[in-house]
Amino acid sequence: MLVAWKYRKRRSIIQWFDPRAWLIFFGCYLVSTLAFWDIRFLSFFFVVALLVVFNSGVTWKESRRAYLFIIGFIFFFAMLTFLTGRGGSEVYKVEHTIREYKAPFSIIGWTPTLKITVERAFFALSQFVRVGSIAVMTILIPYSLNPALYGITFKGLGLPDKFAYAMDLTMRFIPTFARDFQLTVDAQRARGYELEKLSGGLVEQVRKMGPIFVPVTIHAIIGSEDIIDAMDLRAFGVGPRTWIDVLERHTRDRILIWLGVAILVASLVLGFLGYGKFWVPETLIRMFS
Amino acid sequence: MTQNTPLIVENLSFRYRDRTGAAIHDIAFEAQAGEILLIAGASGCGKTTLIRSINGLIPRSYKGEMNGRVLVFGEETASWKLSQISQKIGTVLQDPERQILGTKVLNEVAFGLENLSVPREEILERVDEALKFLKIFHLRERETFTLSGGEKQKVALAGVLAMRPSILLLDEPLASLDPASAQDTLDTVRFLADQGMTVLMVEHRVEDVLRINPERVMFMSEGEIRYLGSLSGLSKVVNYREVKLPAEQIAERAKQDPPAVEIKILPGAAGNGSREAALVKFEDVAFGYESDVEVLHGIDLEIKRGDVIAVLGPNGAGKTTFVKHAIGLLKPKGGRVLVNGRDTKEASVAQIAGTLGYVFQSPSHMLFAPTVSEELAFGPRNLNHSKEQIEQEVKEALRIVNLSDKEQDPPLALSFGQQKRVSIAAILAMQSRILVMDEPTAGQDYQNYMNFMDAILGLPSFEAILFITHDVDLAVIYANRVLIVNDGRLIADGKPQDVLRDFDRLKANRLVPTSLLSLNLERLNATGRFLRAEALAHI
Repeated sequence: MLVAWKYRKRRSIIQWFDPRAWLIFFGCYLVSTLAFWDIRFLSFFFVVALLVVFNSGVTWKESRRAYLFIIGFIFFFAMLTFLTGRGGSEVYKVEHTIREYKAPFSIIGWTPTLKITVERAFFALSQFVRVGSIAVMTILIPYSLNPALYGITFKGLGLPDKFAYAMDLTMRFIPTFARDFQLTVDAQRARGYELEKLSGGLVEQVRKMGPIFVPVTIHAIIGSEDIIDAMDLRAFGVGPRTWIDVLERHTRDRILIWLGVAILVASLVLGFLGYGKFWVPETLIRMFS
Repeated sequence: MTQNTPLIVENLSFRYRDRTGAAIHDIAFEAQAGEILLIAGASGCGKTTLIRSINGLIPRSYKGEMNGRVLVFGEETASWKLSQISQKIGTVLQDPERQILGTKVLNEVAFGLENLSVPREEILERVDEALKFLKIFHLRERETFTLSGGEKQKVALAGVLAMRPSILLLDEPLASLDPASAQDTLDTVRFLADQGMTVLMVEHRVEDVLRINPERVMFMSEGEIRYLGSLSGLSKVVNYREVKLPAEQIAERAKQDPPAVEIKILPGAAGNGSREAALVKFEDVAFGYESDVEVLHGIDLEIKRGDVIAVLGPNGAGKTTFVKHAIGLLKPKGGRVLVNGRDTKEASVAQIAGTLGYVFQSPSHMLFAPTVSEELAFGPRNLNHSKEQIEQEVKEALRIVNLSDKEQDPPLALSFGQQKRVSIAAILAMQSRILVMDEPTAGQDYQNYMNFMDAILGLPSFEAILFITHDVDLAVIYANRVLIVNDGRLIADGKPQDVLRDFDRLKANRLVPTSLLSLNLERLNATGRFLRAEALAHI
């Protein structure tokens, strides 16, 4: 059975708006944020994200795990970029070294070196703020949108009936998959299987994950077949359908949509004019030249 | 005349595309308005294939070779669209969890009508009508995944009834329900038939269905009808070991057979070791999935050598949560659980698994190997058993669950009942000292589950067994200790004859006395303990 995200009605800025309006605003916010690498511009989106978070009604207690996971994930990749310098070379060409650490040994003539540069540090920071702003806004969606309205929301955004209902099912598939995954892990642990103690090379480790991946995949396939049968038996897809849920659009929703569109257009125009590219303070560049 | 008959099935045969033999052959019958036709038979006898052929999933979703005809009010359905069929024939699947699509009860019940483009106002009227009819209007705004098993079953039924079908197909509707919820469902089905609906009900729990007096019974075997007629004739043609009949009827018929050899329960527990030392100990255990909602409250319990414990209680009472603490899958938020004197907080699940084997409710969450024998070898291999030992353990486990001929088959290609037996065998092969089973007989046919329960209980390797069940008779026949769990609390703990004689307590915990329980209580002075119906025949 499909389970839903941890939604509940709460005093929330997101729930104050029609879900269609919020998704349009979110879409505009997402594309706009991706248009920049300049931390000064990105700070604006970060502030917007924080304002939404603090007015979302989602408590730290209920969302702690999700936040810690995603922030940890982004921090890890930002650090990886910072330490290796990979990823940033597309947005900057010259680097200004702050400090360089060389290992006291060589491997076949190559000496491992950790190079800390102004560009790498700022790129990692920009990347953290950029991806973090988007992630923080995205996490709020499952907590704030009523799962009973997923279908009609996507229908209201212009998707045909079948696609709108498919989106509804897809949104609920993720928490269902997580539940089934946990059940399978538990069932295999009860047979003496220890996921933490997998040994061998990468291929061997993947092979040893079979007892988890096979049941989870098969269960997902069987579950999908059951859903198709249940839908067929109640005449799904035979023609246009009625949606019993009704969404109402208010003035505030129109304002939010226009605000989202305005931010998007402004971002695209700024980008077109050459603003918002990767930026490093001149003072720092001079200091380490 | 044919046009007045809701359902006619003529010489129906079907073979699945990827299988060699036909799943059903030459099935022919008629079903009248206001009739309940009970369809019984062992797992794999073709009951579900028959239901799929009638509701149109065969051949539309399940491809294969089909012969014969299905006529609904005189019209052949072969050329109908599934949407047309679904307006005449409603189907409630075995597990309501697999049928419910809506997030909220209102959306779930409205789903079919939305698909038929019925106007919104009419949908809301019909939804409310169906909910009121089934007396579940109070659930209208609830989220479906928060419902109990019985509530889910009724919501699934409401979703079908809202489409106003003339024929209702029910595929094992009682399989996952506690006894009181099963009785409620059956009363509803009787009421629907009395209102003129034609009901075809596939069910293993024949004795339970007999309470609502189905007009006719069909008994199927190997894809054919072996009996079709009145209730009174059923007990004359079927073996009482194949179909679960009322205890009085079994006792009457078993008189003619020689007394069965009594199984020695847990023969290994009588050997070395103290009866007094607790194998598993719960000390004031409290637990909640969310920090502010407690679902288990102050459980104190000791499982000792020689205990065969049946855990009874309503759907959602906390039974599975309770037993998952024994293997350490859940750690208590308050109190502690000791397995062999060791706190489960200090041991990994894999370490406990060597002592305590746990059979999960759903087999599909664990089966992964290419063959049954490899599936069974997985647990013992994780526990570092030797190769020779594993071979022997696998063979023995397969013999117990009657699957020796499936050793090289892929477990995922087996029927649900067979998969369930593989999941039990997979734990048996681990040779744990304590066995815990979560609803081991759900979805199994009577003969199969009685056989494997007999075999498991007679194994010398186990020192204690605990099983969760909704089947009161399983507790009567096999348990020497019964626990009733409700609302996360241990309501009763004692000998079956002490716990199960209190009918008021049973009722308060959504349990229903069975004919076997009543017969045993009648004869308790003479027997001194509970016995199976066949044994009572000779006392």
